[in-house]
Amino acid sequence: MINPAGKEEFLKMIQDNMGIIFKICNSYCRNKNDREDLAQDIIYHLWKSGNSFNNDHKFSTWMYRVALNVAISFYRKEKKESNIISLQEHHAHIEENNQGLNEDAEKSKLLQQFINELKELDRALMILYLEAKTYAEISEILGITETNVATKISRIKNRLKEKISNR
Amino acid sequence: MEDKEIENMLSAYHIKPDETWVMKVMQLNMDCIEKIQTQKARAKLKPLVTIKIIAVILGIVWVLFLSMLVYYSLTLSKIFFVVSAGFNIIITTIAIIVYIKHIVLIGQINSSESITGTQEKLAKLQLSTLNVARILFLTLPFYTTWYINKDMFANGSTGIWIFQICMTLLFTYFAIWLYRNISYKNANKKWFRILFNSSEWTSVTKAMEFLKEINDFKKES
Repeated sequence: MINPAGKEEFLKMIQDNMGIIFKICNSYCRNKNDREDLAQDIIYHLWKSGNSFNNDHKFSTWMYRVALNVAISFYRKEKKESNIISLQEHHAHIEENNQGLNEDAEKSKLLQQFINELKELDRALMILYLEAKTYAEISEILGITETNVATKISRIKNRLKEKISNR
Repeated sequence: MEDKEIENMLSAYHIKPDETWVMKVMQLNMDCIEKIQTQKARAKLKPLVTIKIIAVILGIVWVLFLSMLVYYSLTLSKIFFVVSAGFNIIITTIAIIVYIKHIVLIGQINSSESITGTQEKLAKLQLSTLNVARILFLTLPFYTTWYINKDMFANGSTGIWIFQICMTLLFTYFAIWLYRNISYKNANKKWFRILFNSSEWTSVTKAMEFLKEINDFKKES
């Protein structure tokens, strides 16, 4: 755990990288309350694991590791419950937003839906890929080889292509 | 759809953080988050650790009880009881050690390791219950031998002995077979589902499925 004097500095770093937490929470929970719970859980784990961060790695790489690990564990625990709520929320959300969407926004929405339907680990891979992380960074965060990263990304892209073509 | 269009779609994808949401989460100060999460972590970990601690305590009581019986039965006439109980003590002790190892592991999970590494550890931890059950199945044949005594040798009929030998061989076969085959790799087999069908095994079977997913994810093919 980080010493009390480092609390403010730590919170500043978290605040600067809040986008990472937001994207991960958004991809692993569709329920608003769950998203807030998960965000707090991630911040707490980042705080608790603070000492494991060393300057040899990028702060964002370390943050992705902790945040994705917490998100996947959280998702696996809450899956059953959140799925029931999320379906209702999801339909309401679609109806509410379907009107007046331009083509790009619709594609973006479709992509988000596609990501949310992926399995936990594939979802983590896609989040990192969309954040323009290099294959080397993705392989370091996920613990798989770079070749494997490339193969999986190419497969997921093909699935996405198929899904869009079938619409 | 062309490949280029997919690439364009992916590169144009950006989620803008919802400022209100971000502010709401950040409004909570660190002390508050720390307090809430510690309570939550305790509440979540408590049942898992408590069950394991109870199992360890019961295991130790069982081992001590058997050891006492063995101590007072150390005679040639009770050799079958001594050997059977002895093996039971050894196997139960191994199971206790495995459980203690897993209790220690719970405290050592590090979220800043790679995703597949950490998730694999977590799933394996949930599977520890299955590994202990697998080890304990090895005690099965000894429940068919502990009562053999010199009266059975002197007065037992051929029928009784044939029945006794068949039962012991059958239990030995099942014990070894179960020990070798109880694994997440066989989670989809019918016999496995019948054996571990109750609700208390749901989290274990889910962990198994996830471990399978992790292994598939790590495979380069």
